Formats: sequence, C-alpha cells, structure tokens
Amino acid sequence: MRARVIAGGVVSSIAVLVVGWQLGGQPAVTAPAQQSTTSGSGTTGTSTGTSGSTGTGTGTTGGTTGSTGTGTTGGSSATGTFTGDTTQTRYGPVQVQITVAKGTITDVTALQLTNSDGRSVQISQQAAPILRQEALQAQSAQIQSVSGATFTSEGYTTSLQSAIDKAGL
Amino acid sequence: MIDTARPTRPTPRHSGDGAVRGTLPPAESLEVAARRRRRAGRRRNAVTDLLGILAWVSAAGAVMLWLVSPGSHTVVGIGGWLTDAGIVAGLVATDLVLVMLVLAARVPLIDRTFGQDNAIAVHRSLGKPVLYLLLAHGALLTLGYGASAGTGPIAETIALFSTPDMPLAYLGLGLFVAVVVSSLVAVRRRLPYEAWHVIHLLSYAAVLVALPHMLSVGSVLAQGTWQRVYWIALYVLALSLIALYRFALPLVVTLRHRIRVVGVEPIAPGVVSIHLAGRDLDRLGTEGGQYGVWRFWTARTWWHAHPVSFSAVPGRDRARITVRDLGAGSARLGRITPGAFVSLEGPYGLFTSRARTAPYLALVASGIGITPVRSLLEDTDLRPGEATVLLRGTDADQQYLWHETADLAEVTGSRLYTMVGHRSRSRESWMTEEDVRRGVSLRSVFPNLLQADLYVCGPRAWSDLVVREARLAGVPEHQIHQERFES
Amino acid sequence: MRGVTTFETMGTVVSLRGATPEAASEVRAVFAGYDHRYSLYDPSSVLSRVADGSVRLADTPSEVRDVYALALDWRERTGGAFTPHRPDGVIDLSGVVKALAIRDAGAVLDAASGGGDWMVNAGGDVLVRGHHRSDDPWSVGVVDPTHRDTVVGVVRLEAPRRAVATSGSAERGEHIWRRAAPTFVQATVIADDIVTADVLATAVVAGDAEDLRRLTSDAGVDVLAFGADGTVWATPGARSAVRTEDGAASAVT
Repeated sequence: MRARVIAGGVVSSIAVLVVGWQLGGQPAVTAPAQQSTTSGSGTTGTSTGTSGSTGTGTGTTGGTTGSTGTGTTGGSSATGTFTGDTTQTRYGPVQVQITVAKGTITDVTALQLTNSDGRSVQISQQAAPILRQEALQAQSAQIQSVSGATFTSEGYTTSLQSAIDKAGL
Repeated sequence: MIDTARPTRPTPRHSGDGAVRGTLPPAESLEVAARRRRRAGRRRNAVTDLLGILAWVSAAGAVMLWLVSPGSHTVVGIGGWLTDAGIVAGLVATDLVLVMLVLAARVPLIDRTFGQDNAIAVHRSLGKPVLYLLLAHGALLTLGYGASAGTGPIAETIALFSTPDMPLAYLGLGLFVAVVVSSLVAVRRRLPYEAWHVIHLLSYAAVLVALPHMLSVGSVLAQGTWQRVYWIALYVLALSLIALYRFALPLVVTLRHRIRVVGVEPIAPGVVSIHLAGRDLDRLGTEGGQYGVWRFWTARTWWHAHPVSFSAVPGRDRARITVRDLGAGSARLGRITPGAFVSLEGPYGLFTSRARTAPYLALVASGIGITPVRSLLEDTDLRPGEATVLLRGTDADQQYLWHETADLAEVTGSRLYTMVGHRSRSRESWMTEEDVRRGVSLRSVFPNLLQADLYVCGPRAWSDLVVREARLAGVPEHQIHQERFES
Repeated sequence: MRGVTTFETMGTVVSLRGATPEAASEVRAVFAGYDHRYSLYDPSSVLSRVADGSVRLADTPSEVRDVYALALDWRERTGGAFTPHRPDGVIDLSGVVKALAIRDAGAVLDAASGGGDWMVNAGGDVLVRGHHRSDDPWSVGVVDPTHRDTVVGVVRLEAPRRAVATSGSAERGEHIWRRAAPTFVQATVIADDIVTADVLATAVVAGDAEDLRRLTSDAGVDVLAFGADGTVWATPGARSAVRTEDGAASAVT
C-alpha cells in the first residue's frame, strides 16, 4: 500500500478515534430503567445468599459495589443508594444498585441500561430472587380470592378462601 | 530472431469488424501530451489515495462506535477486557468485510482510478486477516461473557445459542469460514471454478445473516442511537453498490446492446475469434485493452462466465473477442453456434491508454496476450515513433493477429519487433535462447524505456519475468502495466 | 354484585362470584363431567379404567385422547417438567383437567352473563372476567407456603392477564412428580389463560431453576416462585404483586 495512503489513513483514523473518545466516556445511565430485576450477587444480610448460583444465567454479574450514589457512608451506619461498576453482558451493560439502610442491604437492583429493545425484555423477564421481608397481613377487604397450593375440601374450611367466601367479598 | 519493423505504408486501419476509425491525432508534441497524462495520473492517484484513506477511516469509525457507547470507558475485570476486545474485533471485521464487498463490486470509479485487478488483489489480501478478526470476535466474547457470568466457554456458548439471532450469527461465521477456506490457493486449485464461485457468493448470505445479531445483542448499536443509523447506512451503501454495479448495470448493458454471436472463427490451433453483433456497441465505452466478463447462453456454456479481452475496438454493431482453449470451459466456446445470446459484464480494466503518464509507449505481448495489446494499439492516437511493439510467440501457431497488429503499427508509425522461439533454457528469461545470447534486453528493444509506459500481457510466469527486468532496469512502478485477468 | 357460590368437586371446593344460580349449576355440571371422566379416585371413570387396563387408550372417547394430546404437548413445551405420566406408568391427567374445567366454566359464565364480570376459583386456581368493581380489578392473594393463613402478595388481574394458578406441595403432599431434587416448594403463575398458568405452575414446582429460567424467557407469563431454601423468585410483573405499600422501588409493570 502506498505511503501516502498509510500516512493519511493513520492520521485520519487517529482523529476519528480521538473524537470518539471525547464523545464517549459517559457513565452508564444512572436512573433505574422501567424494568428492573434484582440480582442475588452482592447481597448480604437477610437474603439467604443464593447469589445466582442456581444457574439462571441471567448474566448479571458481581459488579463490585462502588461508592457512587447518594447517602451517607461509613461502616455499619451506611444508608442510601449505591451504584456499582458497569458490567458487559450479552444483553448490554448492566449496573448493580444496592439500597442500604443502617449497614444492611435492603434491596438489590440490576439497572437495565438498554431498555428499548427486545434483549432487556428477555433478561428482565427472568425470575430473580427477592428479599423475603415483604409479608402482608391478609388485608381481606382488598382481595376476593387466594391462590395457594390446592386445598382439600377439608382444608378449605380452615382456609383463608373460606373466610373470604363467607364474608361475601 | 528479432525482425525490424516494416516501413510505414498508408493502409486503411483495421478496426476488426467495425467501421473505419476516425480522425488523425492532434498536433501535440509528446512532451505536452505526457504532461497532460501525468496530470490525469495525479488526479487518479489522488482519488485512489482518498478511497484508501476512506477505508482506513471506516475501520477507525467502527472502533469509534464502541468508544462512544455508554460505559465503554470503564472496563471491569478480565471479563470486561475480553468482552470489549471482542466487540471491537467484531466491529472492525464487519467494516472490513463491507470494504471487501465494495472492492469486488466493480464500481466504475474504482475500476477507472485503481483498476479492477488491483482492487481484487486488495480484496484477496484482506480475506485472511478479516477471518481471524471474526474468529477472535467470537472467541473473545464467549470467554468474556463467560468470565463475567462465571460460566465456562461451553456453557456460555450454549447460553448464547439460545439468545435470539445468535444462531444466525454462528451461521454467518461458518459461511465466512467456508468462503475463505475455499479461496485459499491450495483449495481453490482443486475446485472447479464454478464451484468456487458459488461458494464465494455465500459471502453475501454471511453478511446478511449476521446483521440481526449486531442490531439486537449488546449495546453499541442500540435502538435509537445514531450509531445504529450509521451502521445500517453502511450496510445499505455497500449492498446498494453491489446491487447496482455488480448486477443491475450489467443487466442493463446486456439488454441494451443485445449482443449475439455471429461467427466463430478458428484462427490458430486452439484459438478462436468470436465475432459478435449488437446495437450501439461503440457506446459501450470500451477503451482499447479492456476486457469484459462474457456469458454465452447455450445449454452447455450458460453457467460459465469468462473474462476475455476485446481483441478489437468495438464498432457500432460489431465486436470481437479472441479466446484460447484453456480448458474444458473455454474449449466449449469453440463450439458455440452463431445466434447464441451473449450477456456482458463490463467493460472493465485499466490496461488502457488512460493509465499512461509517460511520453512513450512500449507494448510487449505473448501468445493470447496480444488481444488487449492489439486493441490498445488500435485505440490510441499515436504520433510516429511514439510506440514500439514487441510480439512474442513460441512458434508459428502462436502468431495469430500478428498481421493485424503489424498493419496497425505501420499506420501509426510505430516500430514493431517480433521474437519467435522457445524460452531460453540456460537462464530464466522471457526471451529466446538466441536473443539471450545476442545480448538483447528490454532496453535494447525499447531505447526510451525509462520514459515509456510499459504494457505487458501474456502467460503469467513469462510476463512476470518481463516486469522484473523492467523494474531492475529502473522503470518506475507507475509506468508498468501488467494485464491479469481476474473476475 | 351477585353473591358467592361454593360447591365441592374434584376433591376440592370451587368458589364462584358473579354467577346466577342457573349459571352456577351449569358450571357445577361442567366440573362434574370432567371429574367423572378423568378422576383416578373414581374407579368407574374412563381414566381409571385405562389405568387398570380394562379399556385401551385408543378406544376412549376422542375428547379424552385430545386432552391426553394436550398434556403431551405441554410436556414437550416444558421440556418434560410437566408430564401426564406417573412414575408407575399410569396416565394422570389431573394436571390439565382442573384447568380445562375452569376454562369451560368460564365459557359458560361468559355466555350466561353476556359480558359481565365473574371470578372462578377452583381450589386455588383463579380465572376472571372484567373487574370486581368498576374501578377495582379482581385481586387474588398469594398464600405463603409456610403460613397458609398469611398472604405474601396481592395479584391484581388486568386484561390480558386473567388467570392465576398456584402449584405446591404444601396442601396435598407430594402429588407432583418431580424430576430433580425439589428446588421450589410453591409457584404462582399469572397468565392469559388458565391452562397455561396451571401447567406452568406445575412445571416449575416439578423442575429446577433452569426450568424456571427457560419458562420465563419469553414475556408470556409472570411467576412468583418460593424456593426450598427460603428464597423467593419473581419476574418483574409478579414482583409488583409483593411490593410493600411504601413503594421502596419503582417496579412498574
């Protein structure tokens, strides 16, 4: 190849790359996307720490908990929302966000950064582990039925469903 | 033995089946003409360089696409490095594949400034590096995603396979491997040409089949970004150029000129001249020395396309090509009956006086190589003494078209030499034994060689020897023109 | 609002809302018909006679064979996690029969009410039409598998999601034939139709995490699954059902 082409090519390519570098460098989107999943990785505390070892293959990874985000830090009194580093998965970049209250992780969310194409539907449709604390007392005024493992006729009489049916809700 | 040329005699110029050619050359001195040609040559070089730089920049642009994607500046862990390297490899490789496709698309601009044969040479040289880049793309991404997700390569491959559009991507990669492997010299030699060509056409399929996964997997070309628009525009541009110049234009040319075989004339053992008739053939824009890719629509020859030089400049309704029996495919050409319909892709080639930059002209042809040389001679407006021709042949059977060429030389006032005999056995040379011993050389045949454009056409090994001697004699590279038939 | 009707069938209890007495008795007949044909607890049912060898499957009514084919189709689609074949070789169609009965009951209720709202709950599998009240969707509580008097979440059914089914080992013991060591003790599936919901719920409990991943990989259903180790797994749509009231995260579906 001729010297002129090589020289000109190298020079203009470098120019293009520099422009690209300047235009890029944005961090991954920090606002949670519409659909979010939670990731078991990095959770401590109350979760029973399955951390994706059941092989769901969602591809959200151990993004190390970085220190970006709002909230006070400092050992066991940390409170707030923290965002970790971005990891590349086949669905696009994923960032892990954790919510900490008084040193205990209360929520782990995987932020979907590419949420407008079919890929994010796939990953966000995956069932992911959630923390078990949310248990509502039966607000019977609000439900008309319960769904659980099929009860026998005998079992019915002592079940919630029976109570609801009797109340005529 | 070298014979000196016959003295100049006014005889009507033979344009090989067409009307008598037109006007006398303008009264321009050789130097002025050469200066004009050099200017044109510089312009051509500028365009060629620009295209080359454009190709480089497009590859840099592919890398840039990754640089501007969010999150690309922070690379996490070994998995992140592998993944990002894989992404960049894929982007650059695909960009270069598109460049390769455009090089083979027979774009007239490329043909007229760079030459189709040079374009194909570059196309060939890109094949293996691009394949390695594509394989690296697959391997790095499998390892990278696997490292990030904690799975091994095999599990990751299985997981990737269940991602939509990924099986197509694997298919595209496999097709590309097949294309490149079949084009390796060792393999291509063993394949019949048509088989190789069909496999090569799979590269279009490979490129198309791989596109969905680029648009749906990963985030560099995500929806709504300008990067996606740019990428699709690249694809559209490349495929449009191919559709237009590789398929549509030849179709239009064929239908417009309606070329048909009117006669098949054996002119030497194993050599036939095929006389063609058509409409407005002088409007084909054929320059002397160009070739076309011909397809003869008879039951036994329709599936084989032949690159053959015009052996005469086409007239208004006549044209001629001359073919040598080189094997099964071309042998059947000798048995084509008149009336057969002919389709033409072309004319292509930079083996023309358009490529001249020097005051003088030196033409060297051997055997079937005489066809473009003869047309070139016919098509060039020459001043007496400007051109010198050397015709080479092994024996009397290799002297077809020599009389026509000699007539052309007379009319234009060019000197013509002939050299007949087997190649020297004592030394590796393009000359006969006798002329080697006599001390004949290119410079002795062409005294103005260093200020001449040298056009060489003939069997590959022989013409390489001529070119080598020219280079050793100090002829600048841009003044050496060698005709190689490529498709 | 019409009242609540309940009746016993198929070894469990069906609760109807939004049905006239005539419609209710028609629904009852639908369930009775399925029970009579497919119950393995009734020795005179067609399936029992196939099981003990006195009738060949090929000689059964075409409806029975169609249901069997449907069950086999679901076996393919769930990769074997759901299967009508018991380990002892007996063909057990109870996995689809209840859902089919609910589906047919729904057709009856649609015809009878002419587009009105109704809800059918057969032993924990729910199919609805319309809304509970004009601005209130039908709400179904999901029972905690370890505390059957506690509800861990509320599923609000909005079209097209009209069906909720839960499968689990808590109530009737190990009636689900498992392929692997139990990963999930209960699975609630929210889907557009009751057969899909019921079959997939059974498939998740019979299968493992890989099955859960595969079955949720398209956007067709939402799943809330309780693991044997105590972890709860939820797709985003199901997640919104268990969110606390103070809205700790967006999780808008």
